[in-house]
Amino acid sequence: MADSEPANQKPAGRTALISVGRIWTIAASTFTQLVRMKTFYFLLAFAVLLVAAGNLNILFSAVEQLSMIKKVSFGTMDLFAWLFAIVATALLIPRDLEDRTLYTILSKPVLRIEYLLGKLIGVLVVILLSLVTMFVIFSALLHIRTIDFLHTEVAILEQAGRSQEMIQAEAEAIIAQGLRKEMWVALWAIFLKSAVVASVTIFLSTIASSSLFTIIISTIIFLVGHASQMMIDFWKDQFVDNIVVKMLAGLFRIIVPDYQIFSFYEGIILGEKVLPHLVWSMTGMSLFYVGVFLLLGLLVFFDKEF
Amino acid sequence: MSVPAVEVTNLTKVFPVSLRKEYVVAVDNLSFQVNAGEVYGLIGPNGSGKSTSMKVVLGLMAPTEGETRIFGVSSRDVRARNDIGFLPENPYFYKHLSGAETLKFYGKLCGMRGRDLKDRIGELLELVGLEHAKDRRLGGYSKGMLQRIGLAQALIQRPRLVILDEPTAGVDPVGSRQIRDLILKLKEDGISVFLCSHLLEQVQEVCDEVGIIFEGRMRREGKLEDLVSIGNQTSLVLENASSELVDKIERLIETEGDGAELVEKGNPRTTLERMFIRIASSEKQEKEEN
Ligand SMILES: Nc1ncnc2c1ncn2[C@@H]1O[C@H](COP(=O)(O)OP(=O)(O)OP(=O)(O)O)[C@@H](O)[C@H]1O
Ligand SMILES: [Mg+2]
Repeated sequence: MADSEPANQKPAGRTALISVGRIWTIAASTFTQLVRMKTFYFLLAFAVLLVAAGNLNILFSAVEQLSMIKKVSFGTMDLFAWLFAIVATALLIPRDLEDRTLYTILSKPVLRIEYLLGKLIGVLVVILLSLVTMFVIFSALLHIRTIDFLHTEVAILEQAGRSQEMIQAEAEAIIAQGLRKEMWVALWAIFLKSAVVASVTIFLSTIASSSLFTIIISTIIFLVGHASQMMIDFWKDQFVDNIVVKMLAGLFRIIVPDYQIFSFYEGIILGEKVLPHLVWSMTGMSLFYVGVFLLLGLLVFFDKEF
Repeated sequence: MSVPAVEVTNLTKVFPVSLRKEYVVAVDNLSFQVNAGEVYGLIGPNGSGKSTSMKVVLGLMAPTEGETRIFGVSSRDVRARNDIGFLPENPYFYKHLSGAETLKFYGKLCGMRGRDLKDRIGELLELVGLEHAKDRRLGGYSKGMLQRIGLAQALIQRPRLVILDEPTAGVDPVGSRQIRDLILKLKEDGISVFLCSHLLEQVQEVCDEVGIIFEGRMRREGKLEDLVSIGNQTSLVLENASSELVDKIERLIETEGDGAELVEKGNPRTTLERMFIRIASSEKQEKEEN
């Protein structure tokens, strides 16, 4: 009896509010789960791919070679981030349900919003860490290759007896293709995109009962989302005065996130200027989408029966 | 009287089946209560609505009608769950966590941490006899081990009430003996237990009170002894009786019985089981007659 005495006097009001600790506990367990599913082996594959791409220097000039390394690296990071966001998120909740782990979690004093947020944060932490690791690997490689090229190209031009201006110009062209700190903005864009993708997927997985369905629909939304602005413009041109079409277009705009807002990062990695207002509006839009889809997910999940 | 641990009032739960207008009434106007400090067993065949009732009590499902309370707090209130530990039927937990990590996870969800949590985990691992396996991942646990880690998980925050869905299902006789001993120990510690089972022999010795549920409705309820005694019957249980003695008694009943009849002979079976079968078969008969 002595053992259960303090339990009897437990204040009942302790857990009415949302708790960061519980969200973090669920996020941490999601993180461990994904890590122990050996997801990080992907990073090894990434490193190998990059080294291979970095050494394919027969076909290209120095500038082309560097820009190819960048395109391949960021392309892979982007692919990894959104694909992982869809697949991992789609698998997690149905799995908990199948294993009845969800019963034991929700029969503890855990709010459903805490569970959803925890899952989302767990997935996003894995993505963020992977992206940062990939970025570090990429930076090291790009840096080495840039210096490499600089030396060999300059030496070749000097040997050929070219003018100092010409050598200077070539060196500048190579350096321009090298590492820039603006690339972090590109990484941020990729991460935000995957955050939106993950929250769309979490919403879908609260409605659907099968992971496969969730994965397919989320992928379709992802693909359509890249052309959403185009489609909306097309409809508006076709049916200028049709109020129904206008409303549908508005609805469409909310349901299907405009994934095009993230695509400016491709310019950044190739050396274009970063426009701060674009970064801010992208960040704001992403938070908005994440919020909306989490809220929709919660609405479904709140009354869901297991 | 103190507040009951569980209070179920006129609970009805209806499930829609497919898109057509068909319904399954899983629980039908069910009322009962689990008194604080008691062990209550809900007993019934497969599909009689035991798990469904438990899920409503836990707030995992909303009732179609009626309401459920835990120590006076509505099941829909998340605070009610401070006081509950739940072991689902055939539980599985995160395979990637070890036994100790699993308990840590659930402890943290209940707001425990530090020394307190660590001590509690050690205590529970000892209680359920899994100290030797605490660092092994659950993927490699046997069914009985999972059931025991599940029980430990349910007890982590020292709840006042534990809800056990088929705690001994799929566990060998020795294991289920251990689980029953654990339930008795919980009762000694003043913890209320609400369990359900279709295996009557397994629970009758631990339950203070049982409710017999069939097709979602409560058929009989009460103290075990009251339920199982049949007024106009007497049973003789003999030990080491020779077959001659048994024959003699039978002849005696025939010759001098004065209307008495030998209803049953054989090795004693659980009386509760007999009743259970009777209820189920009379239900069947009624249906066939209609
Ligand atoms: N989510 C659900 N959707 C539709 N029907 C359900 C659902 N859950 C349970 N049922 C139905 O409700 C009835 C009662 O099921 P329940 O799981 O409560 O039975 P039980 O007494 O726990 O049985 P068992 O001993 O097999 O565990 C069954 O007919 C079942 O088919
Ligand atoms: Mg059941």
